[in-house]
Amino acid sequence: MKNSMRESLARLANHLNTGRNPYVVSISLLVVGTALVYLSPRSILAFLVFAGATAMIYFLRMNKTAKLALAVFVAVVLVPILGARNIFYLEVIFQIAVFAALSLGLNIVVGFSGILNLGYVAFYAAGAYLWGFFGSQQAFLLHEIPGTAPLDTPFLLAPEWFYVFVLLGIIVAAFVGLLLGLPVLRVRGDYLAIVTLGFGEVVRQLVNNLDKPLNLTNGPQGITPIQKPTLPQGVVDAFNAVVGPLVGNRVTPSQFYNIVFYFIALIVVLAAIVVTHRLDDSKIGRAWTAIREDELAATAMGIPANKLKLAAFAVGASFAGGMGVIFAASRTFVSPDSFNFMQSIGVLTMVILGGIGSIPGVIIGAAVVIILNLQVLQSFSLYLTQLRQSDAVIPILNFAWKDLSTQLDPAKYQRLLFGLILVLMMIYRPAGLIPASRRIRELKGTPDASVSDGETNGDANGDAPEEADDDR
Amino acid sequence: MTDNEPFLVTEGVVKRFGGLIAVNKMDFTIDRGKIYSIIGPNGAGKTTFFNTISGIYRADEGSITFKGKHIGRMSADAITAHRIARTFQNIRLFSSMTVVENIMVGGYTRLRQSPLDILLRLKRFRDEERAAEIKAEELMEYVGVHGLGNELACNLPYGAQRRVEIARALAVEPELLLLDEPTAGMNPHESEDALILFRRLRDELGIAILLIEHDMRVVMKVSERITVMDYGEKIAEGEPKDIAANPKVIEAYLGRGAASGLSA
Amino acid sequence: MRIAQLPVSVREIVKPIGRMVVFVVGAGAVFSAFMVLLALVFKGSAADRLLLESMDVGILPYTVSILPQVLIDGVTLGFVYAAIALGYTMVYGVLEFINFAHSEIFAIGAFAGVEFLLFMERLGILAGAGPLFAYMLLMMAVLAGMMASGATAVIVERTAYRPLRGAPRIVPLISAIGVSFVLQDLIRLVESLTSGQFHRIFPTFGNFDDRVSLFAFEMKMGTVYVDIQVKSIVVIVAAVLMLAGLNYIVNATRVGKAIRAVAQDRSSASLMGVYVNGIISFTFLLGGALGGAAGVLYALKFTRIDPFIGFFPGMKAFTAAVLGGIGNLTGALLGGIVLGMLESFAGAYLTTFTMGAMGAEYKDIIAFAILILILIFRPSGLLGEQVSQKA
Repeated sequence: MKNSMRESLARLANHLNTGRNPYVVSISLLVVGTALVYLSPRSILAFLVFAGATAMIYFLRMNKTAKLALAVFVAVVLVPILGARNIFYLEVIFQIAVFAALSLGLNIVVGFSGILNLGYVAFYAAGAYLWGFFGSQQAFLLHEIPGTAPLDTPFLLAPEWFYVFVLLGIIVAAFVGLLLGLPVLRVRGDYLAIVTLGFGEVVRQLVNNLDKPLNLTNGPQGITPIQKPTLPQGVVDAFNAVVGPLVGNRVTPSQFYNIVFYFIALIVVLAAIVVTHRLDDSKIGRAWTAIREDELAATAMGIPANKLKLAAFAVGASFAGGMGVIFAASRTFVSPDSFNFMQSIGVLTMVILGGIGSIPGVIIGAAVVIILNLQVLQSFSLYLTQLRQSDAVIPILNFAWKDLSTQLDPAKYQRLLFGLILVLMMIYRPAGLIPASRRIRELKGTPDASVSDGETNGDANGDAPEEADDDR
Repeated sequence: MTDNEPFLVTEGVVKRFGGLIAVNKMDFTIDRGKIYSIIGPNGAGKTTFFNTISGIYRADEGSITFKGKHIGRMSADAITAHRIARTFQNIRLFSSMTVVENIMVGGYTRLRQSPLDILLRLKRFRDEERAAEIKAEELMEYVGVHGLGNELACNLPYGAQRRVEIARALAVEPELLLLDEPTAGMNPHESEDALILFRRLRDELGIAILLIEHDMRVVMKVSERITVMDYGEKIAEGEPKDIAANPKVIEAYLGRGAASGLSA
Repeated sequence: MRIAQLPVSVREIVKPIGRMVVFVVGAGAVFSAFMVLLALVFKGSAADRLLLESMDVGILPYTVSILPQVLIDGVTLGFVYAAIALGYTMVYGVLEFINFAHSEIFAIGAFAGVEFLLFMERLGILAGAGPLFAYMLLMMAVLAGMMASGATAVIVERTAYRPLRGAPRIVPLISAIGVSFVLQDLIRLVESLTSGQFHRIFPTFGNFDDRVSLFAFEMKMGTVYVDIQVKSIVVIVAAVLMLAGLNYIVNATRVGKAIRAVAQDRSSASLMGVYVNGIISFTFLLGGALGGAAGVLYALKFTRIDPFIGFFPGMKAFTAAVLGGIGNLTGALLGGIVLGMLESFAGAYLTTFTMGAMGAEYKDIIAFAILILILIFRPSGLLGEQVSQKA
């Protein structure tokens, strides 16, 4: 009974995913999602439908150009418009983008070369504090006690330097990555995880304490204000003139920054995807996998394992460094709290949940964790708060909601969320939601090279989701 | 290149583990394009000696030269780059990779693609990858596993895994191939095929092969020269027929029932 | 050499206590000598002048005058770390696996013990408790902590680690990190549901907060009185007893022999009829119980506990285990004492010697820096690791 249900469901899914159907499905899903978000900008359900519709573009069997066109349309047209309608969505999507880049970076270290890095957030901090220092007044406050900045302190650099510092952040973080990666030359696997954890903690504590003897980081208070790049004159008005009627409300300049940072983060994520994918599909990527699988055999094949592991650290770190700069500018504030151990574990959770070593996997992982964290848990909290304010009583237990402890705030239980995801995934699905697909090559001697479903060839890069769904 | 040019030469190689001397003062020479074997009872130090040559262990004493270069102090990957490739006693394929990717890993040292080539997908990268793929397919055909390129290495039957491991080592484009018990676990028919393959490697590709073997028949049939080890030391060396007749060898290694094993 | 002639059971009690005395005295002497030397070097330096200006005392007499107190604090802390470190080291010895959640096992012990005492307080028993009864109550609290932690450790092993045995090392480690996070929030959930707050204060009772004056000595600046808090004595005595007990179990009993056999070679032990899963569970039970007891003692010493207290003591205890040589019980003891001393010395002297540029807040950084340096340069620790080399 259950089986036949599953079968007919599978058949239906397959039917929807062949021929013209996927085009119809994905476009109609997008229309529905967009309409829902547009009509009820505050509903999470609507947002989830929209997010799901976006993800479906990737998963349905369509031709590559069509996928690309749809994706560009969603990213460049739909998201800014819907975002302007409810600016909170842009915040969610921005965070997804930031953490997708971090996950991609950590994935190179953990997923490709198999080193557990528990201090990954240190690289993010490196980027954030780089712009935090140079993009603020901090350079003139070296001898001031935190919190006593004179009002007229000038800024060190013009805000436009921000763009340069995104690149610098990438480079600096890569160097920090090399530095923190040096222990890999000597330390064995599980100890290395603890060493990286230690490094991450040392970096955070240093940042926390370097308000003396020279006030470099402003200590636990953090650095603020940090500059954002200035907007060109009239760009907000132009946006409002074009999009305003569609949206139904005007965006303020500060809201417009959300759109700007969304696009900046999007560009970095796209760059990260391209870099990750290209490295993965090269001798470097093969070498990383070989090291992860069997380091001894890899060195016997001529692979300089240490050099490649360091490279993995550096590349992985660079993504986080670039995003750190963007994060600092978008918040105009950095403090040590944003770079604690839990953040590292959060990124690790995204990688593990999505699928270790899988590019689409870790992006989905980042999206799921952020949405769970920012939306589902938050709205659950909100719901509980409402219950608390009501006179509702749980019938049988005779428990009045208003007696519920205010400490029970699901939004604060991220650790539980991360922890459960890690444990359950390790036990039941260690390869993640979307396991890394193995590269299928078109070989002349292979019978399966000629077999294709007509339209599967759409993705020549080979990173299309395979049906190879190895449940273990 | 003359025949007298020293190929692989080890002099007085010693490898200790704590108080245990696993390899003691091994003097050993291989010539270009020949098949040599090392035999000896379990724990005689054969694999340790192998690992010392291929750079997985570092010799405590003695020198190892390959084509006149000192490789004794080099790391395993640098030695491989000098065109010494190896297989392992217990097959060590990269199990989450397909057969063809496994073999392409073997070609690592032969690829010149730089990070820039890779990131920008420049012509050199595209050409090299295509060439590497074709090369891998040729090697698969050569060792007899064609058509299995997209299979996961761990899903292949045992004999095929052994062949893939040899193909992966061949992708290094070695001049010297170290095979650690390549016919272990094979049935007589399969090991017969393996022998044919070894001879072809020598005759067609000019690769020198150093075998560690337990199967006496294999060693006797295929080797030009045999070295016998016991307790980490070389106790005999010579052509197969001399070794077979050497009483010291029979005593140390073959022991009782050796005669029947040989006559079979 | 006399010790060797004693019967095994007695020897295994005398030997570890002797070793602890040696370690404490040795580490204390080394640290004190180093500090005095450093003070001599700093004599006449800017730090010295600053101290003379502000407190009218030179750096050398200052260093000497607070030394005994610093040593006492270091030993107390050291024994707490040692007790936690044993949990890490035993599990690593048997499974070659870093039980990342051990720091939360420790926290659970602290909460169980404190909750027990708070319950007694609510019943009104605590307030009127005489000295003897107070000690009995404390002992019961420690037992409660041991039971809660031991049980949690066993359950965690059964549910989150055992299914992953045989997987690549990184897999159970990630699971352990997950467990650590889950436990933190579970403690928080339980504690905040019952009272609306997730931290707890160790109730005041008995004479644990009193100070026993030990001795006094004359210096140019005046008489220096050295005293020790009763609770520090309790912590040290309790830790010594537990460590000796553990040593006895591991080295002089049948089950201890089985543990060592499993640590050496799991499959052979299994062939010899050792019930491996049972022994592994027992190892977690022992390590967890010890961690739980350490948690209660920690709460007694530092009074305030929250669900996240495990992290730093846990990391330091792990450092101690590695410093001593992981898998090595004696090593964990030595590592714990060294680390406790180090932290106490850094906390006491860093501010003075760096003229305020670096304060006691760097003690965590120093602990981590040491961890990193040992792992990089001497991963086998001071006394050598005792982990079987499994192929």
